[in-house]
Amino acid sequence: MMTAMDIDSIAADWAARIDRGTLAADEDRALMQWIESDSRHRGAFMRMRAIALHSERARALGPAFDPDRFTAGEYQSPLRSRGRRWRGAWNGRAKVLAVAAAACAAVLVALPLIDGTRHYDTRQGEFKVVSLADGTVMTLNTASNVEVDYTDTRRRIRLLEGEVLFDVVKDRTRPFIVAAGGASVRAIGTTFAVRRLKDKPLHVIVREGAVEVQQNSLLAPVRVTANMQAELPIQSGVDVEPQAVEPDEVNRKLAWQDGRIAFEAETLAGAAEAFGRYSQTAIVIDDPAVAGRQITGLFSANDPISFARAAAKTLGLNAEVRAGAVHLTQ
Amino acid sequence: MHSSTERALWLARYVLPHEPALRAWLHRKNAPGLEVDDIVQETYARLSMISKVESIRDPKTYMFQVAHSIIVSSIRRSRIVPILAVARLEALETPADEPDLETQVDDHQELERLAEAISRLPGKIRDVFILRRVHDVPQREVARRLHLSENTVEKHMSKGFALMGALFRRGGNAPSRASSKPHPDPQHSRDHDDGNGH
Repeated sequence: MMTAMDIDSIAADWAARIDRGTLAADEDRALMQWIESDSRHRGAFMRMRAIALHSERARALGPAFDPDRFTAGEYQSPLRSRGRRWRGAWNGRAKVLAVAAAACAAVLVALPLIDGTRHYDTRQGEFKVVSLADGTVMTLNTASNVEVDYTDTRRRIRLLEGEVLFDVVKDRTRPFIVAAGGASVRAIGTTFAVRRLKDKPLHVIVREGAVEVQQNSLLAPVRVTANMQAELPIQSGVDVEPQAVEPDEVNRKLAWQDGRIAFEAETLAGAAEAFGRYSQTAIVIDDPAVAGRQITGLFSANDPISFARAAAKTLGLNAEVRAGAVHLTQ
Repeated sequence: MHSSTERALWLARYVLPHEPALRAWLHRKNAPGLEVDDIVQETYARLSMISKVESIRDPKTYMFQVAHSIIVSSIRRSRIVPILAVARLEALETPADEPDLETQVDDHQELERLAEAISRLPGKIRDVFILRRVHDVPQREVARRLHLSENTVEKHMSKGFALMGALFRRGGNAPSRASSKPHPDPQHSRDHDDGNGH
């Protein structure tokens, strides 16, 4: 089987052929044939074409361009990291200025700092992926509301409501802080989720790296590391005690990032409550004996009716939809 | 393939610069059974098949949404995941056209990266690339000046494109730590942070 690298190398051949000049009719046919012969070829070809066209911008470097100025000293791949990390690691501002001068005078004008507050939210049952300026990605769960406020000295997120998973790109010079009420969660490069629901303790779960949670500015921060979770009690004066979580359970708890809910021996009552966050359609269970039955599985988060039917089938119950709710009975 | 040139230009301008960020995110996301390369390729394929891109206000976020929907739909097809009832997953596929904090790629920074990428090309490939791209010399003239056949010039260009593609690919493996090694091992450049912002 061809690897992505092999495909790339053929795609690069085609990009170079086109770079030479217009394709002859038979070449064009051969290209189309190659593209259509494997579902991966189109993407690889378009990507290589993009690289070929992108590199045309090198003309802006001007005839004075001297490649040897770039190869001296320590090497930091220019494409490996972004922004200030790269500028910092790439030793010497002189090189930067050399390119700048060679390119054009306009680039010497100071670039404005990225600043300002931006607001993101999701409706009930909606999910959203947002990529931020530094490469950090936020995944918003149902009914969530956040404010993003980046400056050149810190990255600050205000979690107003709901649950958000953060895949944070490390930046030593700019701490990453999630504020929720008076509490805060601080990280640099890590993956963690913060959940803030009405009348519930703030919940933090860490998949990778570590964070420090702080109930309020008066209390000492508590460290929460990978595969741990912590709840921040609503009333202060209670200590935060992080607990270990099995990696499998972390994945289950974060299944919502792919629009799913995962249960491991969860009671139907607990499952009904979990689904309540995602949909207007309530799962109603009047019989305590039914409410205590347990279910295991992976479900589409915003489809309580399918869940109720699957649960009914598995447990030998009845699921009935009436008056905007789904009822589970014996 | 005339219309594809226009789309390739759009990809070069708005999508390619964000590929390292997308790869970094995909690596951190670590979707079981899915290759980052395949997701990226499929993302390009889908972006090249969309009938109109003019209305996409924030291509970077759109690109992330497309990659996300590829993962979601492939999980749905997967036989490994014990799915009892995954019915309306399509509802997730709502690429939000949210404006990003970073609306424009920093041109200056882009050019710096390109300059260094070209500088890192080996020997003859670099010579050919600089003549073709920086000095805009036609292929035939490049062949004459460097005493190469036109075919060889074209081969060098192809290799140059592939090497640049590999640079973008490596970009995704190291979301953070600065390394002085010329060719970082993806396994080792993955960062585990100490979690403290001081």
